[in-house]
Parts: sequence; structure tokens; C-alpha cells
Amino acid sequence: MGDDGAGPVVIDRLAQRVPPSVALVESVGDATHLLETWRDTGLAVVVDAVVSGGVAGSIQRIDGMQGFPSAWRSASTHLVGLAEAIDLGDAVGVLPGALVIYGIEINRVEPGVGLSPAIDRAVDEVADSIAQMCEAYA
Amino acid sequence: MTNAREISVEYLARVEGEGSMRVKVVDDNIEDVEFSIFEPPRFFEAFLRGRPYTDAPDITARICGICPIAYQMSSVHAMEDAFDITVDGSLRELRRLIYCGEWIESHVLHVYLLHAPDFLGYESGIHMAADHREVVERGLRLKKAGNDIVALLGGREIHPINVRVGGFYRTPTKKELQALVPELEWAKDAALETIKWTAGFTFPAADLDFEFVSVCHPDEYPFNEGNIASNKGIDIPISQFNEFFTEEHVERSNALHSRVRGRGAYHVGPLARYAINFEKLTPLAQRAALDAGLEPVCNNPFKSIIVRSVETLYAIEEALRIIDAYEEPAEPYVPCTPKASVGHGATEAPRGMLYHQYRLHEDGRIADAQITPPTAQNQLTIESDLRFVLEQHLDLPDPELSWVLEQSIRNYDPCISCATHFLDLTVERV
Repeated sequence: MGDDGAGPVVIDRLAQRVPPSVALVESVGDATHLLETWRDTGLAVVVDAVVSGGVAGSIQRIDGMQGFPSAWRSASTHLVGLAEAIDLGDAVGVLPGALVIYGIEINRVEPGVGLSPAIDRAVDEVADSIAQMCEAYA
Repeated sequence: MTNAREISVEYLARVEGEGSMRVKVVDDNIEDVEFSIFEPPRFFEAFLRGRPYTDAPDITARICGICPIAYQMSSVHAMEDAFDITVDGSLRELRRLIYCGEWIESHVLHVYLLHAPDFLGYESGIHMAADHREVVERGLRLKKAGNDIVALLGGREIHPINVRVGGFYRTPTKKELQALVPELEWAKDAALETIKWTAGFTFPAADLDFEFVSVCHPDEYPFNEGNIASNKGIDIPISQFNEFFTEEHVERSNALHSRVRGRGAYHVGPLARYAINFEKLTPLAQRAALDAGLEPVCNNPFKSIIVRSVETLYAIEEALRIIDAYEEPAEPYVPCTPKASVGHGATEAPRGMLYHQYRLHEDGRIADAQITPPTAQNQLTIESDLRFVLEQHLDLPDPELSWVLEQSIRNYDPCISCATHFLDLTVERV
């Protein structure tokens, strides 16, 4: 993965920084997998790379319980993706107590290995925010 | 005056990957039918060249997030064929078990969230869930029973990493497998309910003359091993795949189209497996199929949703059988020595037969790879079905006609991302 692997890299960088009660889970974004991860969870944080026309490396943080940005919904690479997971979870009553979504803007989706410098900095910033959030939540 | 109708669906919903459909009818004459795959090719076969044989299962598994086990299984069988090693006993059974997990999760996703909405008149599984919450919850729990098998044997649910040529990197303990049993016992009942539920849908009439092709083993419903057989006389070793089947490039599509040499379209997937191997289903699965109104051969592709449900039941029963009889193997894999050779593997992905061929250098590096996924093999049949559906439903208004045409594509649970991954870099577009 290249810049589109921003989400899994955030997980890697959080590995030694969160309390044991926090589960770090890599997902292909399949809604059914996300729902199983969210079931009976107080707080879920989702990180994904997005292409919505913004500056590469910019970060958007949204409250997932308040609706999903339409710019992120239109062309997901996931079969039944994050937006659908939220809608489906709402329909069957399997949403976490709180849901925070980080979108890391990338401007290239192509085969490759490693992150470009702007995405690398954004990944660090998101990992720091999540580590602080976990500490505060615990 | 000429009366022309054109129906185009630029981005097919509820299929994996990016494909489109276009049909053109002039004065009730069908002029054009196209099921096109426009997702860009990803050149996996070229990626493999020069890589060690040990990389094949993990690289090819990345072709598909839904059926990685199928890619791992076809690749390891091809390598073992090339190096003349046999994997048997508990290791062979564990391979069947992990395949059971993949069939359960893939079939249940398709039945509940992608295909059932077609029959019940919903735009999506999410819209359906609003009115059928308990049914969708059953589907989610049933799918998880399959996920749990893949997670245990594959090392993780997503992009499993524990399969290797010769077996596994680590094999489970008997106790770890036994922990799956209570949920699988629940899942068996849920699968029976699923068969009854899908059998109650209303199906468009169809009785089509398919050439069904699947792996066929003398004693087992097929996952990993056997000959390649058809209902029209083919019965060949896997190594003869290219002598009986051919692939050709079509300008409008980024996937090759497969044919039986000298004949034409053929059909792989649940309907084909079921028709060729009905008597190898468990007695309970056979009875459930007959009670659901199926004959031992089903020629109506719309009823593939029932057959997927029957295969889900079979996979659950087979998983329970394997777990019950499991003895921990002495070693997690059979070692092998590379040599210059060619190996072939064909296994049954949830959506149909998946063929791999590798030519290997003496040191085990891959010289050439061929990957023929099920959706590419079904493309001609899908177009043929579209033509049939058009003929039967020309009197429908465009929205309703478009609905039944899309539904007929989803009969095949097409995985378009898989189908675009085999274009070779040397192919020239003319």
C-alpha cells in the first residue's frame, strides 16, 4: 500500500501507546466486520484515507453519529463500506456509544510502498490525537 | 418509425468492483448486450514474475478481500503439483475447514445483503434491514461464524496470513477448534432457516441450457481437489485446463472472456457445483434443497440464492465434521524442494472455479503465472442470461426492466476486482 495505507499505519504507530482495554483492529472496511468490531463498544475511532478534493495530508475529524460526509460516500473502494456500516448499524441497533472518524486526505491512489511526507506527518498527528483520546476516555 | 430503447447502468451496485451494463433494443430486436468491466487491471500476474514461489499465496490473496482463501488454496495446490508433494491427513482437512469459513462468510454476505434486496424490492441491504431487522441480524451472526473459522486458521479475519505451500505456518489445537462448535451448531439451524427464507421468494421463470463446469472429486463436495468436469462431457485433470478452455480479450472489457474450446460460454459457481456434485452433499443438505423445491440440477440462475444457502448449510456441517474428527498434526506443513517445473491448481472459490498455473525456475522463482478467476469465466454466460431476460421481459417499463437485468447479473455474485487482476502486461489492445 502507498498513501491509501494511512489507516493501517496509524494502527502500527499506536501499538505501544494505548491501554490494554483498547483494541486495535485492521479492517478492509467491510460493513459486517466493522459492526462486529463496534458491537458493545463505548467508543470507536475509525481512520481511513479519503480523496475528497482537499489538500494532501489535511485531516478531517467528524462525529460519525451525525452523518457521513457525502464527498466521502460517492466512490468507496470498499464493497459495503463505512457509510453503509453506519446506516446498517443504525438499522439493526449495533452502533458504538460514540463514533469518531478521521479522514486523511490523499491525492494519489496507486500501487506503491510507504507514505509520502505529507501523509506521514498527518498519520503522526492522528495517532497522537487518538492516543490522547484513549487516555482521556480510560 | 424506429423505436429504440437503450438501458445503461454505468455503475452496478451490490457487486464487488466496477462494472457496467448496457443493452440496446430496436423495434423489439435486441441489438446489443454488454456486461463490461471497466475497473482498471492490476497486473498481479506480472507482480509474481521473479518472486519466490512462497510469495504466491500471500500476494494472490490480496487480489480479493472477499475470497482470499480461494487464491491461497489455488496457488498452494499449483505449487505442490509443481514440486510433487502431497498434503494429506489433518492438514488436508484444515484446508477444507478454512474454505468452509470462506464459503460461509462470502455466501451469507451475498444472500443477505446483496441479493435478497432484489427479491424483496429494496434498493439495498440497509433499506431491507429497516423492515427485516431480525433477518439481517441472523445474517450478520451467521456470517461471523464463517469469519471466526477464517480468523482462527488464517491468523486474522482480513487478509489471512497463515497459509503456506505445504500446509500452514501454525496449526490450531483441538481445544481452539472445539471453541467454534457451539456457534456452528447455532449456525446450522440458522442456515436451514435461510434456505426456507430464500425458497419463499418469487423467482422469474428460467430453464436455461448451461454448460456447468466445476471441480469434481469422487468422494467429496468439491473445495480443493479433483478433476475438472462438466455436464456436457468434460472430465479432465486440472493440468489440461488450457487444452479445453480458452481466454480472449474483448475491447470493451478489462477482463478476459473464457470459453469452452469449440463450444462457447460456460457457467461456474454454486449452480455448477450443485448440478455436478449433488449426491455428495450431506443428507441434510440434500433434503433441505429438495424441500426448498430444487431439483438435483437447477437451471434457473435466479435460484442461485437458494443454492448458495444450501452450500452454506453444507459448509457448516462439513466444518463440524472436520472439527469433531480433528487430530493435531505432527508438523504444520510438508516441506518441499523447488525445481524447474509447471504446476496447476483449481479450487472452488465461493463464486466458482479458480484456476492457477505457475511455471517455475529451478530455484523456485516464478517465471510465469496464469490466474483465471470465476467472474471472467462467467462473463459470456452473464451476457447470454441478459439476452434471455431481455427477451422475456421486453414489455416491462425501463426501470423494472433495468431492475431484473441487474438482478440477473447479481445471480453470479460477480467479483469484478478479481476479474481484472489477470491481464498480462504483454496484452496489446487493438
